[in-house]
Amino acid sequence: MLVLTRKTGEGIAIGPHIRIVVVEIQGNQVRLGIEAPPEVAVHRDEVYARIVDENKRAASTVSIPVQALVTLKNLRS
Amino acid sequence: MRIKTSRFGSIEIPEQAILTFPSGVMGFPASTRYIVLDHDRDVPFKWLQSLDEESLAFVVTDPVLCKPDYQVVLTPDDMADLKLSSERDLAVMVILTIPSDDPSRVTANLRGPLIVNQHSRLAKQMIVREDHPTRYPVFS
Repeated sequence: MLVLTRKTGEGIAIGPHIRIVVVEIQGNQVRLGIEAPPEVAVHRDEVYARIVDENKRAASTVSIPVQALVTLKNLRS
Repeated sequence: MRIKTSRFGSIEIPEQAILTFPSGVMGFPASTRYIVLDHDRDVPFKWLQSLDEESLAFVVTDPVLCKPDYQVVLTPDDMADLKLSSERDLAVMVILTIPSDDPSRVTANLRGPLIVNQHSRLAKQMIVREDHPTRYPVFS
């Protein structure tokens, strides 16, 4: 992994179209500004981790409890 | 063709119905071929069954049934990944998590919908930009 030291207001460029700027540093928190074309997906990496985690939970479903869900739907409607 | 599944046994499926997820579903990169199974017609939930891992399947549904104003905005990269030229061919599904001990707490992953080109049968799981929850309560 490339490690760079930057101060507030300084940034890094990734390729010709992506720029990341250190907006503010407060204690152990860093605010970053990201300039990227709309086709580039930018997400906090925990969002990806959360989706992987949720997919794993979802994949453990053994059967659809049809009767319970139909009863539930009738109760709510 | 005939496929083996751990939940439904050996079943016959039409080959033209196979969906290809070139990058897999997030966390499951080894499974790229899936089929949508529509068994339980009393509830609007379907199974997305892997053809590559017989024990891998997800319960999916139409997100609009969970949240009527739900929309996905595709980037040009998403369109290219699916070889999608018109949004007419687009289908959107979301994965449900159904707790076995309490089905009333079923949740839908609105943050990571599955998008499908119904024409090319190419599909992917995308992350939407909006701050939708990964655990949206379906019966709220």
